[in-house]
Amino acid sequence: MSSFPWLTILVVLPIFAGSLIFFLPHRGNKIVRWYTMSICLLEFLLMTYAFCYHFQLEDPLIQLKEDSKWIDVFNFHWRLGIDGLSLGSILLTGFMTTLATLAAWPVTRNSRLFYFLMLAMYSGQIGLFSSRDLLLFFIMWELELIPVYLLLSMWGGKRRLYSATKFILYTAGGSIFFLIGVLGMGLYGSNEPRLDLERLINQSYPATLEILFYFGFLIAYAVKLPIIPLHTWLPDTHGEAHYSTCMLLAGILLKMGAYGLIRINMELLPHAHYLFSPWLVIIGAMQIIYAASTSLGQRNFKKRIAYSSVSHMGFIIIGIGSITNIGLNGAILQILSHGFIGATLFFLAGTACDRMRLVYLEELGGVSIPMPKIFTMFSSFSMASLALPGMSGFVAELVVFFGLITSPKFLLMPKMLITFVMAIGMILTPIYLLSMLRQMFYGYKLFHVPNENFEDSGPRELFLLICIFLPVIGIGIYPDFVLSLSVDRVEALLSNYYPK
Amino acid sequence: MEHTYQYAWVIPLLPLPVIMSMGFGLFLVPTATKNLRRIWAFPSVLLLSIAMVFSVHLSIQQINGSSIYQYLWSWTVNNDFSLEFGYLIDPLTSIMLILITTVGILVLIYSDDYMSHDEGYLRFFVYISFFNTSMLGLVTSSNLIQIYFFWELVGMCSYLLIGFWFTRPIAASACQKAFVTNRVGDFGLLLGILGFFWITGSLEFRDLFKIANNWIPNNEINSLLTILCAFLLFLGAVAKSAQFPLHVWLPDAMEGPTPISALIHAATMVAAGIFLIARLLPLFISLPLIMSFISLIGTLTLFLGATLALAQRDIKRSLAYSTMSQLGYMMLALGIGSYQAALFHLITHAYSKALLFLGSGSVIHSMEPLVGYSPDKSQNMVLMGGLRKYIPITRTCFLWGTLSLCGIPPLACFWSKDEILSNSWLYSPFFGIIASFTAGLTAFYMFRIYLLTFDGYLRVHFQNYSSTKEDSLYSISLWGKRISKGVNRDFVLSTAKSGVSFFSQNLSKIHVNTGNRIGSFSTSLGTKNTFVYPHEPGNTMLFPLLILLLCTLFIGSIGIHFDNEIGELTILSKWLTPSINFFQESSNSSINSYEFITNAISSVSLAIFGLFIAYMFYGSAYSFFQNLDLINSFVKGGPKKYFFHQLKKKIYSWSYNRGYIDIFYTRTFTLGIRGLTELTQFFDKGVIDGITNGVGLASFCIGEEIKYVGGGRISSYLFFFLCYVSVFLFFFLS
Repeated sequence: MSSFPWLTILVVLPIFAGSLIFFLPHRGNKIVRWYTMSICLLEFLLMTYAFCYHFQLEDPLIQLKEDSKWIDVFNFHWRLGIDGLSLGSILLTGFMTTLATLAAWPVTRNSRLFYFLMLAMYSGQIGLFSSRDLLLFFIMWELELIPVYLLLSMWGGKRRLYSATKFILYTAGGSIFFLIGVLGMGLYGSNEPRLDLERLINQSYPATLEILFYFGFLIAYAVKLPIIPLHTWLPDTHGEAHYSTCMLLAGILLKMGAYGLIRINMELLPHAHYLFSPWLVIIGAMQIIYAASTSLGQRNFKKRIAYSSVSHMGFIIIGIGSITNIGLNGAILQILSHGFIGATLFFLAGTACDRMRLVYLEELGGVSIPMPKIFTMFSSFSMASLALPGMSGFVAELVVFFGLITSPKFLLMPKMLITFVMAIGMILTPIYLLSMLRQMFYGYKLFHVPNENFEDSGPRELFLLICIFLPVIGIGIYPDFVLSLSVDRVEALLSNYYPK
Repeated sequence: MEHTYQYAWVIPLLPLPVIMSMGFGLFLVPTATKNLRRIWAFPSVLLLSIAMVFSVHLSIQQINGSSIYQYLWSWTVNNDFSLEFGYLIDPLTSIMLILITTVGILVLIYSDDYMSHDEGYLRFFVYISFFNTSMLGLVTSSNLIQIYFFWELVGMCSYLLIGFWFTRPIAASACQKAFVTNRVGDFGLLLGILGFFWITGSLEFRDLFKIANNWIPNNEINSLLTILCAFLLFLGAVAKSAQFPLHVWLPDAMEGPTPISALIHAATMVAAGIFLIARLLPLFISLPLIMSFISLIGTLTLFLGATLALAQRDIKRSLAYSTMSQLGYMMLALGIGSYQAALFHLITHAYSKALLFLGSGSVIHSMEPLVGYSPDKSQNMVLMGGLRKYIPITRTCFLWGTLSLCGIPPLACFWSKDEILSNSWLYSPFFGIIASFTAGLTAFYMFRIYLLTFDGYLRVHFQNYSSTKEDSLYSISLWGKRISKGVNRDFVLSTAKSGVSFFSQNLSKIHVNTGNRIGSFSTSLGTKNTFVYPHEPGNTMLFPLLILLLCTLFIGSIGIHFDNEIGELTILSKWLTPSINFFQESSNSSINSYEFITNAISSVSLAIFGLFIAYMFYGSAYSFFQNLDLINSFVKGGPKKYFFHQLKKKIYSWSYNRGYIDIFYTRTFTLGIRGLTELTQFFDKGVIDGITNGVGLASFCIGEEIKYVGGGRISSYLFFFLCYVSVFLFFFLS
């Protein structure tokens, strides 16, 4: 309807504006912070405006399309477009990045580069979620890695280089398979590469080839999402990184894997997905239990939260694997919900850790008296994370449960078993979260703490926490608010699987 | 008429504005909000009273018109699946509404005084009002998902309130235990809900019953699956109502403030499990296997609870075990299908137990200045005794509550318990025997609590004794006073005999012995011989007690069979008519008065026997029995005495160690989970991460090797060249 290139602007604005940071006058960090903050806000507002006025929710087709030739030799186009699936993720990206920038207020070392990298990441993420070209998707996927690697390796704890290297090796390893898949799909059946997602949807492949492609993509996503056994980069990374980076990682980066799984594997390779989905569900259920019980054994509370995040990803995998309308909606809801909750838990852990300078649970205790606000928010978000009703996590998990049991794909017994295993995860989650709370906050001893004068959260942190808390409650009480974004698109997507 | 129903949705939402404003106030502007303190308590009481007026109005309409009203809004709309939110007003709901609001108001008023010196006064009010909201939501909910929703919220409130004094490590672990145990129940509940959704395709109660009743007799669906799902649903109720395998959280939950124990862990939240089973009884009743399982669990629980309550030292813990036992009675009643009796007992027990808990709260309140604020001391019955003189009003209330719970005729619990007992005799003699025996036990342990607390002489000085002397003697002395006869009597008895003059001497002796361990209080006692006596709490705390006393006295009347010409309909049965008609059970309730009296006589005699034994063991009028030589005749008799002693010791240690169930759970589940955790962590660190790091290390080594080899040394190139050439030649030539 409007020919104004909204998406291009949204993708390009942060990185361009970010590169201007280096030309700002050297007058302290303040100016850089405010500049970045205003760019993030501007971007977020633009995004909201564009989606409010130029996007129809009822329409399950791709909207705000843009298509211009970029590299003619191999038919590479700059194709952008969004639909109900990507809308939620893009809004989440805008929201979380803005808040992560706010969270990064205390970063003073090399702050220009830090903020530039955050903005570059912003571009990469929005580009990923809105690209409609397979190669563009891949490029954005890779573009994303560079700022993340730098953020991980330059700011954070003592072992940050180790974890950054681990991260980059894992993701680069996954990307090889991704690239092979992209090229294979693009070159199959014709001499000139066809990378347009629209056209690829109707493409059909021989069964083996499709499974091979599927598997290749799956490895790339399994690293990002993460799916066991490719998850070990995540706890290391989250344990070491600065908490605003953690927020971005947990809030958005992990969701790229889930998005890719839906966007490419489900949409383009339906037959293989149909074959693979039982395995996905089984892996998801195993992951819930495995990560939850590993989390319980962690002494470092950041790592404990990181494993809890891995455990919650299991629900997304199950939702995607259930191949039902409800299940997929649940998975999308869980993407958003974990984006809020997981990111905030990392933020809280990071801020608490910065104050106490301790990360091992057995050294902590009795912190609730000096820091009641952090205690309150930590408890609230732990409750949200263990799927307390009235918060978004509950709705997402419940919807995934319903999706699984209504799935016509599976037989009764396996369905019952999987549901049972998932529900055991429901018991394990409060054990590790509440015992973490107990060890950190309850009690009265303050034995190992170097200085006893902690400051409670200031207004900036409170603002940030409340900003995230409101949508969590909002989704929990009225989930249609978010479900309505994706319902029609999901239905259209699933009609491929069960033609009427 | 109809418009009251239409606005019934406000009942659960009424307390919400206060909670929100208090919560945000506390979070954002703590000092300003804290300065207002009592101003906040008033609106929360007021709003709850409005809710009470509403619910009373609804119940009157239910009694007169008895129509069921349901209203639904859609919550999430999806094409294949929609969740609805709504409310359902039926007799069961209206009973629960009245119960929750009345007890809730009284507890709020009570806690205004009880918590007035606490740091977290407002936080307490936020939690408790939130609890009220979610509990009201739970009972008005119209489908299973909504039940689950509020079920969890109620559990969370319980978690927060048990851990209210979060600086106490015991409270911290108690609240975690409560939450996790309840989560086990929620796990079952959720799976059961999902299973029934899968079977029937609906979550609405009425659709569920309709479908279940049409299908189950025709065996159209997998009956095994139905039974499994019903069992899982029951698991939820087991955890929430502290039934046998999952009861472990309830006694620990007493770490919370006493008003909470009265409201949540005696009157309302623990009744949620009973409520759930009552709500789903039309579903369960078509599954006889599950019904008998429910009654079995109920019987086990009521017996276990009673035995565990026998030798508790902590006043609140004994009451908690008694709650567990009474909940077992309700569960038994539901299991044998006597819906009305179960609900009747639910109501009467709620008021009596709330009275008892609030009474114990005021006992604790009065003991705290004397013995210190640790729950080990202020709730320890060993240190109480003789409080009858100092706090007479509380004592009266407590006594009536005790008698009511024991089942003494004109009081509330008599009517309901008698109904359950007679129904259980009708159902099966086995359950009947256990239930009746436990009624005797109930009388025994309840009266024991009463006697230890209010009778005899104040034993405050005992705390020093208990900390210095070895534990076994101390504990045995609590179990029965007349054990260590030969030695030197008991400490208690000696004081009791010689009176107050001996009292201070003794104390000063201990004072010398223990040195600094005695607090300032006993020092002053030893030297100046002045005594700080426990005081009756303020009027704000007595008022709820008295109201509850009235309730306890008269609430039984709603279930009494009046011999009118209209028929033998009680108010309660009139109230519950639609639900009872639903499963044609009303024929059961037409017992004639002769049968009623015979039943009543047997149960009352049992109760009185229990009271008598308790009085014999713990009564203060020691000399009276000694003169009669009654105890001596009991005890004397060579081997018989030894056997008696051993038995008593066994029972004591069983009860004191909570039936070894907690230890068993710790040994199996906790350690099992820890083992699993260690295993997975080892696997994660060693195998999965090990492979990654191994690959990294290997590539590093290979790189180093290659670097070394390709390091540009001509000599090494030559060496390798010659080596290969020689190998080649060797093979080629040979």
